[in-house]
Amino acid sequence: MSIFSSMNTTTSALTAQRLRMDVISSNIANVDTTRAKQVNGEWEPYRRKSVTLTANEGKFSSFLNKAMGKREGVGNGVKVTKIQEDTETPFKLVYDPTHPDANEDGYVEMPNVDLLKEMVDLISASRSYEANVTVLNANKAMLMKALEIGK
Amino acid sequence: MAINAANFSTAVQSLNSGKDISNKQTPIEAQKSFANTLKDAINKVNDYQVQSDELTNKLIKGDNVELHDVMIAAQKANITLNATVEIRNKVIEAYQEIMRMTV
Repeated sequence: MSIFSSMNTTTSALTAQRLRMDVISSNIANVDTTRAKQVNGEWEPYRRKSVTLTANEGKFSSFLNKAMGKREGVGNGVKVTKIQEDTETPFKLVYDPTHPDANEDGYVEMPNVDLLKEMVDLISASRSYEANVTVLNANKAMLMKALEIGK
Repeated sequence: MAINAANFSTAVQSLNSGKDISNKQTPIEAQKSFANTLKDAINKVNDYQVQSDELTNKLIKGDNVELHDVMIAAQKANITLNATVEIRNKVIEAYQEIMRMTV
């Protein structure tokens, strides 16, 4: 473990939060997209995407330490393992007969993106990013203080 | 971490058992190994500087790099350089202290 292990952990978290932010941007940008992909010749609206975060403990040394009953490693931060589409929430049906993608009854299938949820996720992502930047600055302050030892 | 701890514990053991590690080396060898260690350390510091430079260049060129990666690389370079300067100050201080010795 080097003196920068905490910084590397924080970096992984910052990258993960940036990716979350990217996915949220995509969701909000496609809030009205009725033609995301073609299924059996018919257009399907955009499906909400969400990211899955996993603790990054894949290093061999951490498993070895655990197996030998030694102190467990502190971990190597976080990683994004999956960006999955939300197939559970149904599409919203909006009555708009003039829309080119309206069905025989005049209803249009709109994406299952909930703008309110996305805004909450957006705040969560940006606050997490800020928290990690705070950790990084605290860590740097700690190292700089250590350099002042004996001055 | 585990390896460092192991090294440390063997060092402590040899100290406790009364063996003196430094006596095994001649002054020239000791000087050489010190010079190599110092060189390695300075090269590592330089690596951080080079890495920071590369990332900054990539960012300016518009390559696909994360902004925080660039900033963190710069911070790492900053901290390692500060540590180097701090050690240099100590070394110079020790040298001057010796040179001030009245003969």
